[in-house]
Amino acid sequence: MTAPVPAGPPEGSLPARAVPELSALTGDDSWHRLHPLSPLVRAGRRIVSLIVVLVGIPVLNQRQTGGDLVTDVAVIGAALVGGFVSWLVTRWQIADGVLRLDTGLLRRDSRRFPLSQVQAVDVVQSGAARLLGLAELQLRVAGGDAARGGRLACLRLADAERLRGQLLALAAVPAAGLAGPSPGPAARASARVLFRVRASRLPAAILLTRAGAVALLVAVATVLTVQFDGSARVIAPFLPVVLGVVATLWRQLNGQYGTTVVAAPDGIQLRSGLIQTTAETIRPGRIQAVRLVEPLMWRRLGWCRLEADVAGARQRQEDRAEGQRLRALIPVGSRAEADLMLAELMADPPLPRHPAPPRSRWKAPLSYHFLSWNADDRYVVAVRGRVCRQTTWVPLEKVQSIRWVQGPIQRRLGLASVHLDVAGKRVSAVIEDRDRDEAARILGTLPDLARVARSAAS
Amino acid sequence: MIDPDGSPGLRRAWSGPDDPAVSWLRPSPLLLRARRIEVAAATVPVAIIGGLAGQAVSAGVGIAIAAAVVLAGLLAERFLARRVASWGYAERNDDLMVRRGVLVRRLSVIPYGRMQFIDITAGPLERALGLATLRMHTAAAASDARIPGLASATAAALRDQLAALGEAQAAGL
Repeated sequence: MTAPVPAGPPEGSLPARAVPELSALTGDDSWHRLHPLSPLVRAGRRIVSLIVVLVGIPVLNQRQTGGDLVTDVAVIGAALVGGFVSWLVTRWQIADGVLRLDTGLLRRDSRRFPLSQVQAVDVVQSGAARLLGLAELQLRVAGGDAARGGRLACLRLADAERLRGQLLALAAVPAAGLAGPSPGPAARASARVLFRVRASRLPAAILLTRAGAVALLVAVATVLTVQFDGSARVIAPFLPVVLGVVATLWRQLNGQYGTTVVAAPDGIQLRSGLIQTTAETIRPGRIQAVRLVEPLMWRRLGWCRLEADVAGARQRQEDRAEGQRLRALIPVGSRAEADLMLAELMADPPLPRHPAPPRSRWKAPLSYHFLSWNADDRYVVAVRGRVCRQTTWVPLEKVQSIRWVQGPIQRRLGLASVHLDVAGKRVSAVIEDRDRDEAARILGTLPDLARVARSAAS
Repeated sequence: MIDPDGSPGLRRAWSGPDDPAVSWLRPSPLLLRARRIEVAAATVPVAIIGGLAGQAVSAGVGIAIAAAVVLAGLLAERFLARRVASWGYAERNDDLMVRRGVLVRRLSVIPYGRMQFIDITAGPLERALGLATLRMHTAAAASDARIPGLASATAAALRDQLAALGEAQAAGL
């Protein structure tokens, strides 16, 4: 099988000219390559771990033979050659409002992303990419399947930022109610900072959540075992657990450090990260749900977390744990900051006002005091949670389906719940444990309210 | 109210919220037969094998085990009848309602405009009885709406009708 060679004009393939101007971008359908250093970045993680192996094993194990070293070097070499070939056969193009991404040597893979379908555009920089001044551009499309997302890895940081602005501008043109010009320097100046996380508060906040409690338990268990046994060797079986806990805490810190939210004309821009930095833009009207989370310990301190759900999964495999959580607009902040952000995300959101009937305590003894809901003609808000109070706002126009559910205990107590599902796997607002008649009334009115909201939005 | 199988016993199977203006449609009565065959296909071999294994100890034990398995199958059959009877669907102007469940009761409302795709599946047993299961998918993973035990022709007609309605009312994400 012969390697398909990119057919684009050679001058358009030069990485130095990877991003043309917007005027050229809309009409110019030439093919572009990624940055030639991309294979190095994409193999970055593997190289780091191999360096650790190369350096670490001879130190730990004196019997390291030359054969293993040759194998390791061969693996690195193969990875680099593979990455180079992959770079050689990867090209992208923007034409007619569609981003095309062709890749693959033996099995050609050609993807098309209609820009009007793009939910968000992220610029992600891993540690290796930051050293080289590169960045990865990720396109998020609806559907929840990470494999369907687009990923340009890597471009120069400035190019990635510029391309992101241009993609968002292109994507915004067909969308209703959004003025389309590309954000120039003037638009940048009008951007307002909505929130900036306090670096001193973040580590404490992470330690005060469930992950922190687990870490404490593991630490105590380890210390106690060592105390009883008297020798440090018994730690060995604990090591994987300890590493897992540390990795979880680290991922949270790395992902949320320095979170800055800026309201810009093309959407809400979110930047965060310690080693790996992420910059994403959430287009207005693409937010499926907003959730305010208040863990037990945080409530004492008046802290909370505000998360937004945007349709479309995060792309990178290693971010899967992160993807389960929603994107935290406020990793930790005060209620005042959260209220400010809420007002920015939603026009006059309703506050939960209708608590659940007292008899719901028999069904939900740990959470009945939180259960509450409210709705107006644009949003539904529902509160639930046992230790950790979760308040979820869902725009009625985004509701995909409404489900009425009644379990055996609820039936005995004359209660029922109503679920409002939005796109994706992660979120649904649950109006839990309402009086049976009230639940029936909710089920009777919400579909009509949602229909009116949908037709008003489109 | 339209009640294709017309049995008053089945009407009482649903006690959730109801809309008097809505006429509930029901899966084919053959669905109950399909479920019964499934239960029998599971019960009979287990009863025989259990009985034979018990025979090794004594004849009484063998008979007791076989009888217990058959009894469990009969109990499951009684539960099945109620479960099958609880299924129902109703086409309203803007959305489809699907209800199901005996122990945990569920009623889903899916707007036509939110349906991403609709598929029809039929296993070997369902095919033999001329049945099919209709599934509606929205962008939300949680809204799992399906209607089992539709006659194949009904399922195909319903699919086409829902698809047409969905196209007419489609809304962006």
